[in-house]
Amino acid sequence: MNPTSAPAGRWTRFRDSYLLYSFKRDVIAQLSLVAFILLLGVAVLAPWLSPTDPYDLTTIDIMASELPPFWIAGSDEAYVLGTDAQGRDLLSTILYGARVSLIIGFGAVALQATLGVCFGLLAGYLGGRVDAFLMRLADIQLSFSTLMVAIVVGALVKAIFGGDTFGAYAVPLLVVIIGLAEWPQYARTVRASVLAEKAKEYVDAARVMGLSSRRIMFRHILPNTLSPIFVISTVQVANAIISEAALSFLGLGMPETQPSLGSLIKSGFDYLQSGSWWITLIPGAVLVMLVLVINLLGDWLRDVLNPRLYKG
Amino acid sequence: MFNKTLMAATIGALMAGTAALPAAAQDDDINTLRMAYDADPVSLDIHEQLSGGILQLSHMTFDPLVRWTQDLEFEPRLASDWEQVDDTTLRMTLREGVSFHSGNTLTAEDVVWTVDRLKRSSDFKAIFEPIDKVTAVDEQTVEFQTEKPYPLLLNLATYIFPMDSEFYTGTDDDGDPKDEIVKNGNSYASKHLSGTGPFTVTEHQPGNRMEFERNPNYWDDDSPGNVDRIVLTPISENATRVAALLSGDVDFIAPVPPNDLERVREDEDANLVTMSGTRIILFHMNQERVEAFQDPKVRKAFTYAINQEGIADRLMKGFATPAAQFSPEGYAGHVPDLEIRHDMEKAQELMAEAGYEDGFEITMMAPNNRYVNDAKIAQAVSAMLARINVDVDLKTLPKAQYWGEYDDRAADMMMIGWHSDTEDSANFHQYLTECPDTETGGGQYNAGNYCNPELDELVREANLEIDQEKRAEMLQEVEQTLYDEAAFVPLHWQDLAWASASHIEIEPILNVMNFPYLGDLVINDE
Repeated sequence: MNPTSAPAGRWTRFRDSYLLYSFKRDVIAQLSLVAFILLLGVAVLAPWLSPTDPYDLTTIDIMASELPPFWIAGSDEAYVLGTDAQGRDLLSTILYGARVSLIIGFGAVALQATLGVCFGLLAGYLGGRVDAFLMRLADIQLSFSTLMVAIVVGALVKAIFGGDTFGAYAVPLLVVIIGLAEWPQYARTVRASVLAEKAKEYVDAARVMGLSSRRIMFRHILPNTLSPIFVISTVQVANAIISEAALSFLGLGMPETQPSLGSLIKSGFDYLQSGSWWITLIPGAVLVMLVLVINLLGDWLRDVLNPRLYKG
Repeated sequence: MFNKTLMAATIGALMAGTAALPAAAQDDDINTLRMAYDADPVSLDIHEQLSGGILQLSHMTFDPLVRWTQDLEFEPRLASDWEQVDDTTLRMTLREGVSFHSGNTLTAEDVVWTVDRLKRSSDFKAIFEPIDKVTAVDEQTVEFQTEKPYPLLLNLATYIFPMDSEFYTGTDDDGDPKDEIVKNGNSYASKHLSGTGPFTVTEHQPGNRMEFERNPNYWDDDSPGNVDRIVLTPISENATRVAALLSGDVDFIAPVPPNDLERVREDEDANLVTMSGTRIILFHMNQERVEAFQDPKVRKAFTYAINQEGIADRLMKGFATPAAQFSPEGYAGHVPDLEIRHDMEKAQELMAEAGYEDGFEITMMAPNNRYVNDAKIAQAVSAMLARINVDVDLKTLPKAQYWGEYDDRAADMMMIGWHSDTEDSANFHQYLTECPDTETGGGQYNAGNYCNPELDELVREANLEIDQEKRAEMLQEVEQTLYDEAAFVPLHWQDLAWASASHIEIEPILNVMNFPYLGDLVINDE
């Protein structure tokens, strides 16, 4: 917590921490982290790793559509995981799709967290009318399902600005849509933690010293509410990725010309039972793996950070 | 004591339950056809839109004067007999004892009223333009008069479905006339229906479900049809529609998507019928919205850039014939020499020659539940156009919304499929490439705004030409000119496929127009 402490001290603290101790003993967490880093790596490096650029329509050849992956007869060496119904290379599309999914997942969570933390701190610390107003706002928003809010906003934007504009700004738009739809999750958790912390003596002490409310909220209370925020964040990243996939599957997410995992799954849906199952199943498997490892990591983190669950 | 009463009550309830069972079993005795199309008809007003869906509805709830058989011969329906009085007059005798769903009796006046309404309909007026006058000679006789001899008058009669003039006369609750034709809007006729046909509409939830019941007073006692009730559910997802048939949720589906044909054919409980089709699928290039499309070189470049054979082969799985013109083989206007244009280099050259080597941006719209694989085709086309640097903003919509957009000419390139209403080449030009004219209804679906008055004149002359050879020559000249000027982007003629459960005999009632005569459908015992 002391900004002047040396890096070596931090490292020692980390080495001796319960966090690392439990990680070393949890095989599932280790595997999940490896898989996650792998997926993150290929997604970040997609432009250099993938054989073709699936967003460049000129590389698509209809004559090469619906080719199977390499282990099935009739495949083409140039397309390791086969092609979709329009002739897009599936491997490249999956790499780019995973990238989109992760950008949207992390972007949306960053936005949710910022909004949720600020509102949660304000509501919990100030209380009274501010609290009532912000929490009723959260209640109202929670009474709509996330997906419904996202669908309505997405459809409105598409109708007002047209498909082309939507396509050009699809990623930031989806970040904003999914981010705005889920902030109450954070706000409520943070508020609950703040209410518990507010009654503690160190806060009283800070107040007696005459520190400003802002400083007390962000420098004193916030660091003590971080553990639940970390845990929600992992779950929310997975949720945001699923929301994006669901929206794309419904045709309201990424445009057909820039397929994400969700829209790729949708485009293969027609072919699922008529031979070309790989168009849906391979990206589907990647999506499941991505969400699963993030959730497993989140589970592990929750167990570690929950003092009531010390298994020591 | 308490327990005993409770028990008695339970037994009583159980017995009541069993007593109700036979009634449910009786329900099974009536022949219900559960069918799934890719979309339901957009309206109940059969003059609102000239489309396959509306004509299918017409054949279920109305009867035409004459209709085509599977071999493309004329079969008498409401007209029991007809004779050519002179070169320009056709006299038709109506069947006796035919009544509408409302109970009114069909008379010659209803036919006159119907043709008058057709001539007011913005969609239908162009095909009915040759008919100059219709008169009711007596209760059962009508005379059609044309200004000049018109060789396709009987073909037109297949589109005259006499409407109940008494039922559609007057004003509705809002004070609007009941016979008003409102496109894509609310009118009395779009919600109420009274025809002579084999089925009455008992329920209509647009986009969701439609229910029909057999007309108990149907005039055609010779019809073998034994369907008492039809439930039509629109299922736009191809895979879902096929799955619904194979799992037994529905008994009859159309269309069957090309990639599922094998699966349906191999299924023992399913019955697949396919026919090579005559419906042309094409893209219009709007010259009014995009200046570049006024240059024939650009239009030609577009036709060269698009790989028709690739689409027919890969997306349609060979279940379509790549096209270079409107008329399929066998039509008078078909020109056998016209070759399919596909040459990317040539396309790029032409774009450069026209001064557009850097391309431009266009908008494109296509339906997603009207033609086989329509949305996928549009996607493939937009990918192909990327190679000549044309950036396409593609939007695909369900047909209920698409036709409204189409009437507004809302995009630079729009997809349409056309089946000739008269089974003749001239009809294609009249609707798709004639100079748009709201007065005559010419070019009603010409979303390209292509206009060549010489061709219009040629088609008009051809329609008055009795010598079939000369007429064919004229129509072929029209096709040749449209090809040379690349008036539109032809894609393919779409083949037709229907499938049903095996105990339903769909084959005898299907035809190349894709108007299933469901009134004659026979359901065998399972």
